[in-house]
Amino acid sequence: MTDEVDTSNADAGLNIRRVRAEIEAEAEARRRADPELARREREIERVWVDVAPPGAAGEQHELLLDRADRLSMIDVDAPVGARSGVRQVKGAIRKATYWYLRYVTDQINALTNVLTRLLRRMDERLSAVEHAVGMTADDSELAGLIPGPSEGTAAAIAEELGAGQVAVLTSGAGSVVAAATASGVPAYGIDRDPIVILPGVEAGLDLRAVDPLTHLDSVVTGSLGGLVLAGVAETLPLPSIVALCGEAVRCVRPGGKVIVAVANPADRGSVEAELRAGRGLSPAAWVRVLERVGAVARIVPAPGPRITELVVADVS
Amino acid sequence: MGQHTAGVDRVLRSFGCEVENFAATVNSDSTLTAHHFTDHDQFPVPDLILYQLSTGSPVGEFVLDHPARLVLNYHNITPAEAFDPWEPAVGAELDMARRQLARLVHRASAGIADSHYNAAELTALGLDDVVVAPIIARPSSRLAGDSAARDADTVLFVGRVAPNKRHEDLIKAVALLRSTRPSVHLDLVGAPSSQRYLTALEALVERLDIGDAVTFHGSVPDDALDRHYSTASVYASASEHEGFCVPLIEAMAAGLPIVARDAAAVPETLGDAGVLVPGPDAVAMAFALDRVLGDPTLRQSMVAAGKHRATSYSADHARQAMTDALRPLIEVG
Repeated sequence: MTDEVDTSNADAGLNIRRVRAEIEAEAEARRRADPELARREREIERVWVDVAPPGAAGEQHELLLDRADRLSMIDVDAPVGARSGVRQVKGAIRKATYWYLRYVTDQINALTNVLTRLLRRMDERLSAVEHAVGMTADDSELAGLIPGPSEGTAAAIAEELGAGQVAVLTSGAGSVVAAATASGVPAYGIDRDPIVILPGVEAGLDLRAVDPLTHLDSVVTGSLGGLVLAGVAETLPLPSIVALCGEAVRCVRPGGKVIVAVANPADRGSVEAELRAGRGLSPAAWVRVLERVGAVARIVPAPGPRITELVVADVS
Repeated sequence: MGQHTAGVDRVLRSFGCEVENFAATVNSDSTLTAHHFTDHDQFPVPDLILYQLSTGSPVGEFVLDHPARLVLNYHNITPAEAFDPWEPAVGAELDMARRQLARLVHRASAGIADSHYNAAELTALGLDDVVVAPIIARPSSRLAGDSAARDADTVLFVGRVAPNKRHEDLIKAVALLRSTRPSVHLDLVGAPSSQRYLTALEALVERLDIGDAVTFHGSVPDDALDRHYSTASVYASASEHEGFCVPLIEAMAAGLPIVARDAAAVPETLGDAGVLVPGPDAVAMAFALDRVLGDPTLRQSMVAAGKHRATSYSADHARQAMTDALRPLIEVG
């Protein structure tokens, strides 16, 4: 019954997908524009980190550092309770041992203070290293810096695609998805930014705001007829590119295609070259990487203006 | 699972099979007659064992050693990492359950899964013959509440208080939503599977000062559960792991619009009948709830889509799907 094609609610289905895209775009836009919302969200998250055991609140190292800061001060003023008699005894013990406990805890507090400051410094340095090698990129800074493929390039990509469902990572507003769909190839797009995909969703395209690098984890081996790598593929460091190509080849059925649509780093404008994360690979280098993961790759011309060559890999 | 097992029992008997039910724990007030599995030698040796699998169990070891043909009815096993920070012993048991599942798959000749999500796990472990048949839920005898009788801004979640259900994300969303919708209230129905997790949730509610906006109801009888479905305004789920999710079906049948985290089998069960939000994202969940609560036209279309979707998961449909799944297995025997 769940496999039956249900067309009676097709309109409702499209509306709900659009609602989802609108909600995600609004949430992201508000987060960027409203510091109070971001502050409140962070404050709530901090409370959860405080009450949950380590490891239960996700890999939010900044909040864990905050928690380490708060826990680093050992307090010798133990509560003595309210029950008469017991309170006096506990109070007397506390008073008698205070000088010794204070001597010990002052040293421990000094040490933990230094350790937590050292942890923060190491976190800052690690973040700086990650930014320097291009492992992270602030999407809001790069918004608009990498335009999506032109209509001509999108059409050229669609011509290379064969039968079977195609995934586009990352899709942006969906020019490639639109071109593929128009040529009769079922396609969906993945992009991290819910604001960027919203116009495409409202135009009826199947675009989804999920992390492109983890999306492939959920794709069944050999279930795709094709996979287009664009957008985020230009910003990744080499090890991530190799891993992404391996996953792409896994997800595409034998006889299907992996197509890489990226600008040649040599053709980037100076501003883009300076501001963008990641060195990027030339089409010839992409060919080498794809062949390394078992595909047979070739370079075909594309109309540009930014992407002048496509790498088309046949999955065997 | 009692309702589902009773439904399967009925299907098997419709084939003319003689059926005996065995379990590790026999519920004395169950309507289905069952025996402790260690009493199996008091009954004829079966031709086929249909094993209801949702966790590790000594019954699994018994089944592994039994010579009869084995079919797994797989309901998924909660990932151990959900419980590890809270109840390490339970996490260890869930790890062992996964190892037992792998052994059972090698022993089994076929599998019946509640969802394609569950079926994919069996296939990945090496079981080729797997079909999908949804859980046979209890008949939807409740009346969908009149929209005028529903409590405005009441959000409902039904499910065990367990770490994989991510109650904290619903609480966080309600805390954010209160700033624009002060009357929002979250009703959490379900018994705790982890006292430590429940304690943390209660601490979270207290520290966020939203004690008047969140109620932990614990386990409730069916009539009280029906009242919750009939009076809530929206059903919300932040669960990160579901193999099928019966409460989604019940909520849809009861005429509730649904906002749910896009995770595991939830998109498959919900289809396009509800709003999916990425997780964990309390802001997106809050916006989604606000949108659904504040848009009567959207709510109406979601309610209609949900009721339509729920009919395809009715007890009758599910029994038919189970019949179709079991027929070739019975005929081969």
